[in-house]
Amino acid sequence: MPALSKASFLEHSHSSADPKLKNKRNDMRPENYEAQRQPPSNEYELNFGPNHPGIEGNYALKVKLHGDIVLEAKADGGYLHRGFEKLMEQRLWIQNIALVPRICVPDPSPMELCYSMAVEELCGLKVPQRAQWLRVMQLELSRIAAHLFTFGGHAATTGMYSTMYWGVADRDLLLDLFEEFTGGRVYSIYNIPGGVRRELPDGFLQRLTETLDYIESRLPDYDNLFFKNQVFVKRAKGTGVMSREQALEWGVTGPNLRATGLAFDVRRDDPYLVYDQLEFDIPVEESGDAWARTLVRRKELMESIRILRQVVEILPDIHGPIRAPIPNPLAWNVPAGETYTRVESSKGELCYYVVSNGGPKPYRVHVRGPSSMHAVQVLEKMSVGSRIEDIAQTMFSLDACPPEVDR
Amino acid sequence: MVMSRIQKIPVVEEKKGNPLARVFDDLVRFCRSRSLFILHYCTGCGAIELPPAMTSRFDMERLGIQPMVSPRQADILLITGYVSIKTLKRVILTYEQMGSPKYVVGICSCTVNGGMYWQSYATAKKLDEYMPVDLYIAGCMPRPEAVISGLQKLMDRIKSGEADSWQDYYQNYDYYLGNQQKLFGEDWQTPTDIITEAKHYELMGEGTLGEHTRLLEQHQNPLEALEMRLGHNIKEPIE
Ligand code: SF4
Repeated sequence: MPALSKASFLEHSHSSADPKLKNKRNDMRPENYEAQRQPPSNEYELNFGPNHPGIEGNYALKVKLHGDIVLEAKADGGYLHRGFEKLMEQRLWIQNIALVPRICVPDPSPMELCYSMAVEELCGLKVPQRAQWLRVMQLELSRIAAHLFTFGGHAATTGMYSTMYWGVADRDLLLDLFEEFTGGRVYSIYNIPGGVRRELPDGFLQRLTETLDYIESRLPDYDNLFFKNQVFVKRAKGTGVMSREQALEWGVTGPNLRATGLAFDVRRDDPYLVYDQLEFDIPVEESGDAWARTLVRRKELMESIRILRQVVEILPDIHGPIRAPIPNPLAWNVPAGETYTRVESSKGELCYYVVSNGGPKPYRVHVRGPSSMHAVQVLEKMSVGSRIEDIAQTMFSLDACPPEVDR
Repeated sequence: MVMSRIQKIPVVEEKKGNPLARVFDDLVRFCRSRSLFILHYCTGCGAIELPPAMTSRFDMERLGIQPMVSPRQADILLITGYVSIKTLKRVILTYEQMGSPKYVVGICSCTVNGGMYWQSYATAKKLDEYMPVDLYIAGCMPRPEAVISGLQKLMDRIKSGEADSWQDYYQNYDYYLGNQQKLFGEDWQTPTDIITEAKHYELMGEGTLGEHTRLLEQHQNPLEALEMRLGHNIKEPIE
């Protein structure tokens, strides 16, 4: 049999099954690829992610480019989808505590807290004072760790890898603290509905102060290396700009909103735990670009250190239990009702909508994560008109967290 | 349907006749184990422990292990956590693009048996049904020390020639393809022609071809198409 010509081979294979499907399958093969005549154009499409060094996590963007200017961007999520909201309906109220931190990996603590707060509200549990202070401590530590991680990632997208090495190494000191007082490095699972799980170890506050001192002493170095570095300033200024009106319209929260000049922070405007007894400022910036967003985080880190210092001062004087008595957790029927709780995570406003029908498992849980807005609609719109090398920077400056988008 | 997997055929046979060749093989394997590039595809939450392991504190680079951005130049595919079905497709495409010898390390309990998400509708539970895995590092999530010690173990296995799961993929391609087809549908295929590669590496095993690869051929005749391109005549049937 003589070698078939390409055309006859295609025909031959077409005849054997559904021609439409056939065509599609054959097109995937490089040997079947035929150049198609297209109208002359300078535009092309590019897949940015999911396996790309510039993307944050497992996430993708499809971008249409003219030269290196982005004409259109389309977010493509779902790579990290695990079906959390469905999984939570299938587990006991107490089991879900182990599940929720996985929703946002770099900043897991607000997740457990927000869920616990929702259950407490449904049951009418009153959390003891000491537990509330311990929760504040955990939240602020988590915030510092998340911000250091973001600085590192953001610096890496502008080519400054040393900041990334520093940020990750300094964050590790905080993870050591987490490990000491919660037992887990990343996922602490420290909160349960009604309080927290354990007392502080001996001498912990002393070590906390030392770590805070160390991180504070490192900040001038970070300033010189990163925040005042002309490489960063020139690239970040004017990148990914949004106005205050746009930010409000798009549902932006957290540091990204504060970078447009609006001082809104759930910790101050709708206080939970003991934030109303603490002294701290809400840092704002006006320009709304990548530079402003990073600077807001840099100032927030200082505020978190300030809060933690107050906690260290006050905590030894607060005695009492760390947990309100709860019924047998394995047969715990939470009273029917629905509730909506919100906390300020390092990425923005995090909310839980929880419905109970009086059973041992939640009837419905909805998680409103800040990144679902930041990584999808905001990123899509902000990338347009920017250059391709700035997409990664824009994404990191928004501090989007892909696992939280997909859930 | 329970699919059986054909037992692995030991391919690294002792070259008894030629001691020089044996020494040379050992040397090659030693060099291989000391220069590993990780394709770091963050599939799941375990990826968060990779930056600490790579950067100054735990510093994987002292073992000669470095991240690499492109699959063609990478040696190790790290699967850092649960793989959703959408991700698994990309992971398989990436795995097939990597040049042999290649090693797969599954980090996190989720790659072993589904972990936290054992009842989730969106994740693939056992990674080794879809691609051969050299080493698992269990834990939710494993600490950086565990990751590093796991990679050291992998280095030892490469040195001794035990880490040969990439050959398993060629020898049992039918099994892996069958599982992939169960998940992605019968018309699942990748642009890489594994059967031709298996012929090239001389790794055609008993499990390379079977009912599932027949399905593949029925859809698109990969061998025919390829051999046409090479200008050969196809005479002998594939089975
Ligand atoms: S084992 Fe734990 S840390 Fe690892 S991917 Fe699964 S849930 Fe995440």
